[in-house]
Amino acid sequence: MREEIREAVTVLANRYVMKWKSGGGRIVGYPCSYMPVEVIAAAGMLPFRLRAMEVVSTSIGSSYYGPVVCSFPKCILQIAGERKYAFLDGAVVCNGCDTMRRLDDCWRKANDDMPGILPSYFAHFAVPHKVTDYSVKWFAGEIRKLIDSLEKHFSVTVSDDKLKMAIAEYNRSRTLLGDLDAMRSGPDAFLSGTDAMAIFIAGTAMPAADFNALLEDVLGGLKKKKDALPGRRLLLVGSVIDDIDLFKTIEEAGAVIVADTVCFGSKDRTDLVREDGDPVAALAERYLGSVKCPRMFGDYKRRFAFLKELAEKTGAEGVILQNIRFCDLHGSENGIFERDLEAAGIPCLRMEREYGPLGDEGRVRMRIDALLERIGAGGGGSRRALSADRSR
Amino acid sequence: MIVAGCDVGSLTAKAVILGDDRVLAVRIGKVKSRPEISAREIMEEALKDAGLQMKDIECSIGTGYGGKQVPFAGDTVSEIACHARGALWLLPSVRTVIDIGGQDCKVMKLDRDGRIVKFATNDKCAAGTGRFMEVMARVLNVGLDELGDLSGRAKKQLNLASTCTVWAQAEVIQKINEGERVEDIGCAVNNAMANRIVILANTVGVENDVCMTGGVSKNKGVVKGLERLLDIRVKKLRFDPQAVGALGAAVIAGERRKGGGEQ
Amino acid sequence: MRNELTEYNYDWRFWSILDNASKLFDATEKEFTSTMAYTPSFRATTGKLSTTGKAGHRLVKATARYFENILTARSRGKKIGLITYNFSPAVLFAFDVVPYCLEGMSAFYAAAWNRGIYESLDYCCEVGFTETSCSGQRVALGPVLAGLAERPDFIVCSTPGVCDSNANAFAFASAYLDVPFCQLNYPPTLTDERAVEYHRADFRNMLSFLEEQTGKKVDVDKMREVCEEIIKQDEIICEIQDYQRLVPCPVPGIFNLFIYDIKVLFSGIKDGTDILEAMLEIVKDNAERGVAGDGVERLRGFFYYIDHYCIQMKYWRWLEKNGISHIGTMMTDFWQANAPYARGREEEGYRMDLSSLDSMIDSLAAQSSRMPMVKQIRGPYDAPHMWLDDTVGVANLMKADFLAFMGTMGCRNTWSMVKLITRDMEKLGYPALILYADSFDNRIEPVDTFLGKIDEFLRVRDIRGWKGAVWK
Repeated sequence: MREEIREAVTVLANRYVMKWKSGGGRIVGYPCSYMPVEVIAAAGMLPFRLRAMEVVSTSIGSSYYGPVVCSFPKCILQIAGERKYAFLDGAVVCNGCDTMRRLDDCWRKANDDMPGILPSYFAHFAVPHKVTDYSVKWFAGEIRKLIDSLEKHFSVTVSDDKLKMAIAEYNRSRTLLGDLDAMRSGPDAFLSGTDAMAIFIAGTAMPAADFNALLEDVLGGLKKKKDALPGRRLLLVGSVIDDIDLFKTIEEAGAVIVADTVCFGSKDRTDLVREDGDPVAALAERYLGSVKCPRMFGDYKRRFAFLKELAEKTGAEGVILQNIRFCDLHGSENGIFERDLEAAGIPCLRMEREYGPLGDEGRVRMRIDALLERIGAGGGGSRRALSADRSR
Repeated sequence: MIVAGCDVGSLTAKAVILGDDRVLAVRIGKVKSRPEISAREIMEEALKDAGLQMKDIECSIGTGYGGKQVPFAGDTVSEIACHARGALWLLPSVRTVIDIGGQDCKVMKLDRDGRIVKFATNDKCAAGTGRFMEVMARVLNVGLDELGDLSGRAKKQLNLASTCTVWAQAEVIQKINEGERVEDIGCAVNNAMANRIVILANTVGVENDVCMTGGVSKNKGVVKGLERLLDIRVKKLRFDPQAVGALGAAVIAGERRKGGGEQ
Repeated sequence: MRNELTEYNYDWRFWSILDNASKLFDATEKEFTSTMAYTPSFRATTGKLSTTGKAGHRLVKATARYFENILTARSRGKKIGLITYNFSPAVLFAFDVVPYCLEGMSAFYAAAWNRGIYESLDYCCEVGFTETSCSGQRVALGPVLAGLAERPDFIVCSTPGVCDSNANAFAFASAYLDVPFCQLNYPPTLTDERAVEYHRADFRNMLSFLEEQTGKKVDVDKMREVCEEIIKQDEIICEIQDYQRLVPCPVPGIFNLFIYDIKVLFSGIKDGTDILEAMLEIVKDNAERGVAGDGVERLRGFFYYIDHYCIQMKYWRWLEKNGISHIGTMMTDFWQANAPYARGREEEGYRMDLSSLDSMIDSLAAQSSRMPMVKQIRGPYDAPHMWLDDTVGVANLMKADFLAFMGTMGCRNTWSMVKLITRDMEKLGYPALILYADSFDNRIEPVDTFLGKIDEFLRVRDIRGWKGAVWK
């Protein structure tokens, strides 16, 4: 793994962030994949996806959040409270899930006690939970509202042309990421899931232009590699992951993660935004149109179909269904995924974990080992055996 | 053919030596500061019991949280597979294995050929693990191994509402303060534990024969509670249930040595 | 699930409990007491309801009919719609659909039955739910998923945008049972033009779904009928809540539960109006005599989220025994424009306009978007019209002596902001307590433990010279 990628993955204030800042650039943080980053980029700023890899305790996060919520937003608040997000000029919190949207409330209130931890620009951005003509229209309105407030606060102009340029730039990333994704897929996969994930994560922490240049370079080098990696092909599903060590733990057990549907990973990262017509409408359609997150209630069938197709396309021999504790959106849906994937003859592992640095490698490793052994022993179960099991 | 299995868990280390498919030695001890030290010490004790030396072992397998650090192991296998394999070796008709260790609780379902067709592990919570029982025994001021016998001496049915380790602890203290008998409270603790395991067991679907491994299976109260709630009989294994994982590791080592089935 | 619990259909079981209980209320005192001796597991609940006179009797009878409608729906060729408690069932009545309100049932099961509910809670986890999921749905959903209750024909869920945990449970049920799912989804604001437009479009989208599921068109006359009944009901509720301001409070604590029961089970039908009329009579009588609804008033408590339903309503009985007037929860406020707490904030409330079909639909959409939780926890807690505004408003209006929060351990939304609002309320001078109990799952923190915490809190904070609770 290249040093600049490793750094972008493990250090919040990485070299790209520092270079952008030293050039007088502004940075706006956001916490969710439903955030149309092109808007921030078109305003001339660097969109930075909020993470908390440097966290060692949640003493601040737990002072504002209650005890029974997901550790991810809590850790982001912790990092903010520790002033490690001092490089942010703004942050936009959106309602990806209930705990994440309350980052808005908690961060603002924490700022009352620790003045200065809140960026000067701070906005709440809402995303509907369904895809209909009127919800897409409403969402486009929400995007326009965000544009207006960015323009006002930072005295910038976000023209349609700038939006279109930003869309084109991010679409370029998406196309390149699609190429990258193909290299870690199938029996011939020669790129590890860990390396692919690192690149996917790095893309959320640097300017798109730098990322595209880096990606082209990386892809050029990878095209010379052809040796398939050994290991069981696995698909990774569920709650947000920005921790390459978790990927490493899984792959070191004798697997290759050939695909994922997690935030920071390849989920939604290769779907293009339409480049013709009204750019705001195009962004609204593309971002709200994605139903890959269980926050889009009632869309299980489409998600399952997508998952099954992905498993087939990438040659996945087993599926890891994980969730961060208290993430019931992924956790409960994983229960039905397990039922339906097992019925289709695909062995699954359901697993609960904590966010990144708070995780417990031993627990994870033991479970992964057992899944791999089950696949190896052919204990995936024939369709017949598993459907008989369901009828109990 | 002499083979060995070594299971280094979160609280205890276990070693089993097999000679021509017969158990030559079984040893269980508390873990030391580092897994490799625990492994070496427990294996040396087992070797001493069997009158053997390390060089006599033809193949050995490590398992458990510290399995990767077992210095003399030729390979590692997950404790899920080892517990299942050990239970199957002791009871060939077994289809469901419930293992309750210090930090983890697992339920494995096997097919007729002994392959694991499904397994489930506990959520990220201490309830439903040996840790829960340890905390409760300490609050009740009884030894961990005495806790199980309390159920048999209980006279009054008490319900422990909570299965969360933190809340249950508060509730047990409250019951002690209310003057409830330790036996009755202990019985309620055992039942609460059983209730918790039932959810996991039903997730994979219980099929006869059922056996239990891991330290908590020595607790009669929990076993009885499980039998009642699941409407099953738990088959007794004629072996220390805590060492079944190490036994399974040794069995797998034997198979590997013979070039037999991979589990 | 234990074998004995799988012997009977849950809906039938609870219908028979309620039906028999409703007959008991017509019995003599002696008949009543001697029968009670044979019903140890729900004696206290029935006993509690029997003390509320005509209102309680009517509520039990109406609830028995609610179950009977579910049990006979198939044979009468009617569809069953599985709904959540913050969806007004009135529109389903207008479509002749039989509503099956999950949390309403959960509260009822929890109140009436000590043991079996844990198994239905756990059953949901056995089939895939996380153990951290909200208990409010799981109690009643367990039997539905297990095939031990009537199977719904479709689901209407009104919590996307408001409560992930709730919406997720209904989405799970839809996927698990493979039944059609419709959601009402709310933006984070309430009264601006974009929000109103969205509410209306979304409600119409839901009507199309109902038309599709039932094969019927919206019936103007039926719609008018339910809307007229809603108006009657709302007027009585607002009057009762006006009386609730009096010191001592003439409204029995349990009537708070009745109010939201009626709004979530009997909105728009005469059964609900009948109960409310009986309630109002009792409240007026108490007010005229200058007595508290529960005898003596020592303190006034506002429960700024929801109530507790387990172990035969012990929480309600304890409040009553200790002279703590229950002056409301988030659940009791439906935001009629003429509600006492809406004075000066009328634009946040809804009005029923029956002049045309369109105006009726818009009114129902507005009502829907003001249901408890739907109104208050959709946006930042301290934004206009949201949780803080409403809590301050009610606490002032109802002269609360203290505040207590209780919810479910699965409630990600409130657990992500309750510390903030509690701190704000304390700063405003209201002693406020966060309870770690679960409204539907007594295993989380047993009822005696959390009641003890309320007692301790009142004593330590020396609220109106609180000298300690009565326990026996």
